[in-house]
Amino acid sequence: MSPNKPVGILKKLLLRNTNQRRLISAWVALCIGCTLLLVSVMMWSVFQDLLQGKSSNDSLGSTFLTISKKVDDAAMANKEHAQFRAQDIKQIKSAPQVQDVGMLCPANFKVSASIGSGPMAFYTLLFLEAAPDRFMDQMPHSWQWKEGDNTLPIILSRDFLNMYNYVFAPSQGLPLLSEQTVKALGFTLTMGEGPNATNYRAQVEGFSDRISSVLVPQSFIDFGNNKFAPQVPLSISRVMIKVADPSDKAFTSFLEKNNYSTNAEQLRFSKMRSIVDIVSGATGALALLLMGIGALVFVLFIELTMSKAQASVQLLLQIGYSPKKLSRFLMAKYIPIMLSALSVAVLIAVSIQYIASQKLGSLQLNIAPLPSLFVWCAAACSGLVLLVQISYSIRKAIKS
Amino acid sequence: MMTLSIEQLVPIPLKEKLNTRTSDVWLKNIKASSSEYISIQAPSGTGKTTLIHFLYGLRTDFEGNISWNNKDLDQFSAEEKAVLRATEVSVIFQDMRLFPELSAWENLELKRSITDTISPEEASEWMQQLGIGDKKNARAQTLSYGEQQRLAIIRALLQPFSFLLMDEPFSHLDNKNTALAASLIAQIVQRNNAGLLLADLDENNFFPYHKTYML
Repeated sequence: MSPNKPVGILKKLLLRNTNQRRLISAWVALCIGCTLLLVSVMMWSVFQDLLQGKSSNDSLGSTFLTISKKVDDAAMANKEHAQFRAQDIKQIKSAPQVQDVGMLCPANFKVSASIGSGPMAFYTLLFLEAAPDRFMDQMPHSWQWKEGDNTLPIILSRDFLNMYNYVFAPSQGLPLLSEQTVKALGFTLTMGEGPNATNYRAQVEGFSDRISSVLVPQSFIDFGNNKFAPQVPLSISRVMIKVADPSDKAFTSFLEKNNYSTNAEQLRFSKMRSIVDIVSGATGALALLLMGIGALVFVLFIELTMSKAQASVQLLLQIGYSPKKLSRFLMAKYIPIMLSALSVAVLIAVSIQYIASQKLGSLQLNIAPLPSLFVWCAAACSGLVLLVQISYSIRKAIKS
Repeated sequence: MMTLSIEQLVPIPLKEKLNTRTSDVWLKNIKASSSEYISIQAPSGTGKTTLIHFLYGLRTDFEGNISWNNKDLDQFSAEEKAVLRATEVSVIFQDMRLFPELSAWENLELKRSITDTISPEEASEWMQQLGIGDKKNARAQTLSYGEQQRLAIIRALLQPFSFLLMDEPFSHLDNKNTALAASLIAQIVQRNNAGLLLADLDENNFFPYHKTYML
């Protein structure tokens, strides 16, 4: 801009006192403040995503619990004492922290699995269960079965495979089995007994961290119970629940009061989740404070520059310059600087999220490669607040 | 037609002093229109600059009323004052009030560009006319008082106006330069069909005044 053009002259007059070193310091402070704020919102959002169990991040999730009635002497004498009745389910649904309830449906008929023949043959009695799809942490594409299908998909608890590999196989001199090998092995499931016994070819399609069981599709359990044990009433002895905060005292006392048992380790882990919540909240508060300081440094820099140009501003007003025109001129100089700091902060936040998604992906923790809507909203809100602050400071400097 | 109305105006700092003497302006009612040429004669210390600053809206420490076009000056918003100063009322300050760090031309350009009603060529011609054509690139602070005063006069003329307020506009000029400057002012005031109000220490005949007031 030529200094003889009016805008060039205004720039020379009003911004000649801009100390470049101070400008860079103010920019860096603002950029750091914005970055910390956006990254903390991003962290909070990622934690929420992981902890609310929207994806299959069960290792952090633990909002899914399997509960059963404690097996006491009464239950030993009468199996029905260990089973859930309809009113129990209703009561659980309205328990504190409980968001969803699903029943694990067992197969009421005898099942055995066998593989190979001759001296290398393997045979074991087995049980089967079905869980509602919304409670599954693994959902292979082939997770369906209808009458007439040749192959039955199975999801095995990862704990079972671990126990085989680390405890059972070494003690029995058996070979270790990788997940890929188990998935590749087809085996035969025999349903029922006597002349009604029917064989099905089964294939392990995945491993679950969430549900300790041998899972098959619900349609197969319904079919099998109907075909092989039509007289046996459906009995539910394990229930899955989704809870917001399993460490909540009201919830744990509900479990104790009703004599329900669950994995206590999961409850402890959920306490850790509460700690993560508190830490991410505290980080957010700290980031907000630093953002405030960054914004303050930037605004003070503007006010300092404006106070040095105060005499010129007053004289410009005296010769007929409109306060709005001067405001617009100064805003046009400072807003791009603010936006550049915010843009760099957004870029850093996007990069961190992308890198984190790549790194965590290898740990089976799936987070989105781009920041959530919360981060974009935080960026937009920060921009808006800064815009208002800068506009206020400039108008105040022109008025005074 | 622009009107100026002054009613019972008295500067608060001079209030007690004014009880001991008479004035044609202070504590009087005066009406003027933009077709009138008014001379205010004011010995030192009688509030000449104060009056100009009151009329131009720079100071508000007074009692009474000042109205431009029947609107009280204290009712003007900052934006309305800016419009008044840019298009209706222009001023030549006694202390010039130039931007010392800018060149003579930049000082003019800054004012000219507000309304862009006078061409740069005409502004340049006025500089030649008043004998400062060769000072365009000189910083205002390096000019003599006389040159600064001529620059301030040209600056005041670089906008449309209905009233031109002048506070001892020729105090640093010799007779020849005063005549040149007064002639340019008269020409531009006439072109704008404007009125003028000149405050000076003594009686003068710079312009054909319609009214003369003793401050």
